Amino acid sequence: MKIEVGTVLPRLSVDFVSPETMKIWAPILEDPNPIHLDRDVVRAKGLGDRLINQGPINLGYIVNMLDAAFPGGVIETIANRFVDNVYEGDALETEARVTGIERAGDTARVTCEFGLRAKERDLVITGTATVAVPASALDDPR
Amino acid sequence: MTIPDPPDVAGHSLDGTTYVITPEQNAVLCRSLGAEPAPDGKAHPVYCYIATQVGMGVSVAGLCALCDFDVDDGPMMGTCEMTYFQPLMTGQGYRVRGTVIGLTRKKSRKLGIMDLLDYTLHLDLEDGTRACTVRSSWILPRGHSDEN
Repeated sequence: MKIEVGTVLPRLSVDFVSPETMKIWAPILEDPNPIHLDRDVVRAKGLGDRLINQGPINLGYIVNMLDAAFPGGVIETIANRFVDNVYEGDALETEARVTGIERAGDTARVTCEFGLRAKERDLVITGTATVAVPASALDDPR
Repeated sequence: MTIPDPPDVAGHSLDGTTYVITPEQNAVLCRSLGAEPAPDGKAHPVYCYIATQVGMGVSVAGLCALCDFDVDDGPMMGTCEMTYFQPLMTGQGYRVRGTVIGLTRKKSRKLGIMDLLDYTLHLDLEDGTRACTVRSSWILPRGHSDEN
């Protein structure tokens, strides 16, 4: 993949947001909020019928997309807005585009705009990221 | 219903504990996201958020209480800005430090009155070297005031 301004990064797809993943993350986040674990609570709060994914999981998918797009790169910044909830059963897909490149010696700093989209709804996360990559990687013909 | 003014929480310390990303938990987390853990001991970068949030000196419920907000009323993550100064490593102890920046009253057509809680957290090595910084904002919906 040749990296230049306008390059669209490979998408990362999540076919099914799993309640099992939410169960795994609840103790890691030390977040016992039942909207991630108990559908009855979600219904009682008027938030629908499906469990709500923890926000940091969605952020984790963005990180994985960046890692896959820039092997050997180092993430320097991620700034994002949580636009909407992600629910169990959602299918997700990342989208990202290179918006800037700064070269400094052997390193290049690549800036991207990104989003995470719930396929049957709309964007759930939007943001920007900066990744430092070897300058030689910009012309990688992968 | 009249909604009281938000309390002045700017400057409140969020200094917390020393957080260690264990290799075992990092592996579980990476695999739950469909990725293998890095073989060189690097932790998943999302730990920048997790370690600061878990290791700060107060729970989310406690942070909400500081803002006179009941966590059961549904705080929402608003924005998050993570800056990495070095890769996060498993097995490394990170001291969590932080401060509340402010609590700002806003009006939203959808949510009515809401307060925007803004705070910054850091992960520092024991020698004080900064590994990463997270600036987060949470939306605390207060409901609709009769005064509107």
